[in-house]
Amino acid sequence: MRWLVPLAAAALLSGTTPAEAKDVMPVLPPYAGAYQPQTVDERGLWMVADETERAMRDSKTVIHDAALNQYVRDVVCRAVGTDRCTGVRIYIVRQAAFNASMAPNGMMVVYTGLLLRVRNEAELAAVLGHEFAHFELRHGLRGYKHERTASDIFAWAGVLAAGAQTYGTARTYQSVQISAVGSVYSYNRDLERQADFLSMQYLKSSPYDPNCFGDIWTRAMDEADATARGRKQRSKRYDRVAFFATHPTDLERTLYLRQAATEMGKKGEDDQDRFSAALAQWRPQFLADQLKLNDFEGTDYLIGELGRAHWTADLLFSRGELYRMRGNPRDLVSATTFYRDAIAQDPANAEAYRGLGLAQLRSRDAAGGDALKKYLAMRPDAPDAAMISTLVQ
Amino acid sequence: MTKINRITLAAAAIGLACTAPALAGNKLIPQGQPVAVAKSPLTITPDHEWNKMGARPGRNSETWTLDGDGLNDVTFYGGIESGRTLFREVSKKNKPLPRFAATMLLTDIPALFENSYSIALDTQLMKIEGVTPTTFLGAKGVHFAYSFSRPDEEVRRKGEASAAIIGGRLYMITFEAPNVYYFDRDIAAYRAIVASAKMGAAPSAR
Repeated sequence: MRWLVPLAAAALLSGTTPAEAKDVMPVLPPYAGAYQPQTVDERGLWMVADETERAMRDSKTVIHDAALNQYVRDVVCRAVGTDRCTGVRIYIVRQAAFNASMAPNGMMVVYTGLLLRVRNEAELAAVLGHEFAHFELRHGLRGYKHERTASDIFAWAGVLAAGAQTYGTARTYQSVQISAVGSVYSYNRDLERQADFLSMQYLKSSPYDPNCFGDIWTRAMDEADATARGRKQRSKRYDRVAFFATHPTDLERTLYLRQAATEMGKKGEDDQDRFSAALAQWRPQFLADQLKLNDFEGTDYLIGELGRAHWTADLLFSRGELYRMRGNPRDLVSATTFYRDAIAQDPANAEAYRGLGLAQLRSRDAAGGDALKKYLAMRPDAPDAAMISTLVQ
Repeated sequence: MTKINRITLAAAAIGLACTAPALAGNKLIPQGQPVAVAKSPLTITPDHEWNKMGARPGRNSETWTLDGDGLNDVTFYGGIESGRTLFREVSKKNKPLPRFAATMLLTDIPALFENSYSIALDTQLMKIEGVTPTTFLGAKGVHFAYSFSRPDEEVRRKGEASAAIIGGRLYMITFEAPNVYYFDRDIAAYRAIVASAKMGAAPSAR
């Protein structure tokens, strides 16, 4: 399965081929109607992917809501074309991380964390187009073949190094092994770049604006920096490619995607309104999932970005929850302000009254009782009503 | 000694070396005797036998089970100090757990528990289902029910917890079991444990 952003690299036992092995690829595109895998390798990969998909279909983490699924499918179809998108099954998985993936058999997995982070439909289309590109270009198969050849070279170089007569010869074989390992990762990065560029091509022939793809990676970098700052860690470097990196750095992606968009010179729509309308019902839940990650700085950055155009009640409420959860005395004061602003916009938001009351009580402000009474009046059947009512007395 | 025998013996020796500490750690908790748990003054008088797991979830905690880990687990949190996590960090660098604070309200405890589980198990399917006031260890406490699924398995688990903040420390006893069969069968045994829980020095049986 190919992922949008690197997951923890699997334990590495394989290497690579310096000279690309002869790449026999089936002629028919994998999205063609009722396509059957052609070669023995492709059949094997598809078999494994089919098994994963069976488990995915029945997983409790998948959101089955018909309207949301249809919306994401429509975006894929608008991005890559209706002839292509029929070959894809989409699974929206409730995971707060920013990611999406594509299996060789056409199973597309979209994390809710991605839906929370993209700002408009064009950005979503760019990312899903990238995933589709992996499918169309058979990157699963290519990566697998490359890895297998590399692991052969790694193993044989190891045998030769063990039997080497001199220290110098052994060193040579060992460096062959290292370059075999390195080539697996650099090949992977090449595939990611290919997928990025093909996604740009899709955007070119779609109604969407190609300029938005680079923006995603700028924000991804800023969010990662905020998270690192909050956790008192060093910011990840964007200007150097790590040996084991499976993807190009976010900085590199930003730069080449911006350049490609400029060269294309195409304007398009971002379909912000349709995106907001489709996601409006879901955003509070996605925000709640994000809040559970215990990532104050990263989440605060993310909420701030989402509120850049307009601070809506759900964003203000989430920011209140975030600050109340951290719970420093000054955070509780800030949280109180955010809840009040949320209530000003949406007086029916019972949860905001709850947060307001609890933040005030934790600051030893007796006025919290009144807010909690409002909450109980609005939600008499809340799961924590009995507990909250003890705080009011 | 043949080569195969030597290899078998060596493997057996390695196997023993690996399993011995865990085996030594598990211990039978006898019925009817007060026992101090989780390296704390929290004292339980079980109404029937339990097994104490050798592996502790964290510094001030311990787990008891009837049939085995994951089937019916009672976990004691014996006085989590301010600024500490509920249990051991799974990945301090990438997924740090939230920390308990003595200034928390009782209503913050279910949220702390929910977030800790979500992060540690890497699942968004952790849910707190009912929060009610209770008296726990003679203090004002909170009782809540929860449910969750671990990643990569579809078993739905249900749980219950009682907690109180006493002297700025968090005391909590939780129970969780698969919602099929085990939860309903063993919830009474857990409630008996909670009913018998007291603060105070127990005659040390350990």
